[in-house]
Amino acid sequence: MAIPGSGILTGMGVTLRNLFRPKVTLQYPEERPHIPDRWRGRLDLIYDPFGEHKCEVCFQCAQVCPVEAIDMSGFDSQGRRIRYGLPEIYDERKDPNAYRRAGLAAEPMRNAARWQEDVDQPWLDGVIDGYGGRPESLVAIFGAVEAKYGYLPEPALRRISDRMTIHWAQVFGAAGLGGFRLLPTEGHLVTVCDCAACHFAGGDRLLAALEEELGIHAGESTDDGAFTLETSADVGAGALAPSVRIDTLVYGPLSVDEARHLVIARRAERARARA
Amino acid sequence: MDPAVFDSLLGIGRFVLATTFLLLLTVPTAFIVGQMELKIMAQMQLRYGPNRVGPWGMFQSAIHGFKMLAKEDQTPDRADVPTFTLAPWMVFMAAAMSMLVIPFAPGIVAIDSEIGVIYFFAIIGLSVVGMLIAGWASYNKYSLLGGLRSAAQMVSYEIPLTLSIVGLVVLTGSLSFTHIVEWQLEHGWAVIWQIIGFPIFFIAAAAEINRTPFDMVEADSEIVAGPFTEYSGMRFGFFYFAEYVALFIMCAILVTLFFGGWLAPWPFPAQLDGFAGTVYGLFWFFLKTYFFVIVAVWARATLPRMRVDQLMGMSWKVLLPLALVNLFVTAAVVLALNL
Repeated sequence: MAIPGSGILTGMGVTLRNLFRPKVTLQYPEERPHIPDRWRGRLDLIYDPFGEHKCEVCFQCAQVCPVEAIDMSGFDSQGRRIRYGLPEIYDERKDPNAYRRAGLAAEPMRNAARWQEDVDQPWLDGVIDGYGGRPESLVAIFGAVEAKYGYLPEPALRRISDRMTIHWAQVFGAAGLGGFRLLPTEGHLVTVCDCAACHFAGGDRLLAALEEELGIHAGESTDDGAFTLETSADVGAGALAPSVRIDTLVYGPLSVDEARHLVIARRAERARARA
Repeated sequence: MDPAVFDSLLGIGRFVLATTFLLLLTVPTAFIVGQMELKIMAQMQLRYGPNRVGPWGMFQSAIHGFKMLAKEDQTPDRADVPTFTLAPWMVFMAAAMSMLVIPFAPGIVAIDSEIGVIYFFAIIGLSVVGMLIAGWASYNKYSLLGGLRSAAQMVSYEIPLTLSIVGLVVLTGSLSFTHIVEWQLEHGWAVIWQIIGFPIFFIAAAAEINRTPFDMVEADSEIVAGPFTEYSGMRFGFFYFAEYVALFIMCAILVTLFFGGWLAPWPFPAQLDGFAGTVYGLFWFFLKTYFFVIVAVWARATLPRMRVDQLMGMSWKVLLPLALVNLFVTAAVVLALNL
């Protein structure tokens, strides 16, 4: 400032002008703001003090969203992958509608084939009607569908939603949180925990035994596609060390023989199902 | 009755009447100044301000005052009770007593003293004693810090405050407020003669009564509420009461010394005779005084609080030299022109 006090005068000018400007206050009980019916505020994910998303993928926000604008995918507190909405995660979204909204030439969805599996609709309707279309039978219907297809195909969930007139988000949320498989898989995914606790409790011996039993190394699948073996540090059951996760179920603490038996039992079950 | 006895009784009666009237005047004054602060600052911050109590919210500050009365009055366990009780009284009395020499209109002055200026600056400086003992008696480190700050600040600013009007005293040749106003009737408003003295007085007066941006004494973000931290109820209320009254008094003195007191500005007749003249004088006096109250509120809405060292530096390095230069130049001019 060239002249001492000119900054003060500038500030005084601002406040003097404000004195005569219209006021921004809304006299609340008498005046109400105009809020569109469908306005739900700004959507945001909040973080805990450790920098992690606090979102537990519980779908409650998706369930109350009147225009079904929310979809999500993530891991629940049990480490299971759960989803609501379209199968892709956001960064690989290839929804034709999204392309159209963005003014781009539509491309086919990358994973569309997996999600366009034909569902035996008369059979599914029969199952639903067999339960009387009651919402509390949703889990039982999921069970029947999973027994038939090995997972819950999206068209089946859509059909369940339509026919039972249950909100789509609720159907999908129940399926995700209920521990049902939402992706087609080739056989069983066997995950041996290699976290420090499991490793020192004998996890390496479990892995060696399972490799021997299945005849494959970690990261490979058996030739018939019945088993895929992998290691992960996030089975997340330190108290159960050493532990193994098969699909969505965590077992532990396991001895080498118990681990072999888990695989043998599933192999036998699969053979029975085929016969 | 002996005329001398009658005269002295009349004098006593006049004094009692005047002091009672002035004490009563402090109440609406504090409420009006407080209300202006609430309302004008709100408007400057693009808000409406209080608008629920009474028409346009005009009783908000009065309600604040009654709320203070209704609150519990607590004394800390370790406080020094006599001084703790005395402090708000001292601060308030310093403000109320200094009103005695303010000439509101021709003849409307409690004590038309020949040394009114000296009396005024002696009495208004007493409030620092109240602040200091409030800070000490509270047995609280924030209070003590606030009390020491108030001592440092008010003692520092009293010097430029007093020096800034010595030039005016030299010019008018009088220490009587009434005479200074009458001098301005002949020579025009003193602000024309004391173009440097006026801003020094205004700034130093704001600092002297702890107005923002000089409210280090009760800097909330640093020392809670300074000397007032441990006070509650009406004792706390009295500090605020005193602050608003002091603001009014400082503006009144500013108007008296530099802006012609009860004299009307140029296009109007400066003063009238008789009862109409009293009303006319009161009107102009209060109009000008409340104008400067508004300016002080305006400054509060605009300026952030200064730092303690900046505050001290401004007093000793800027205002004091300026006040001395003003004094010497005025004295030289008075000598040269033989005014």
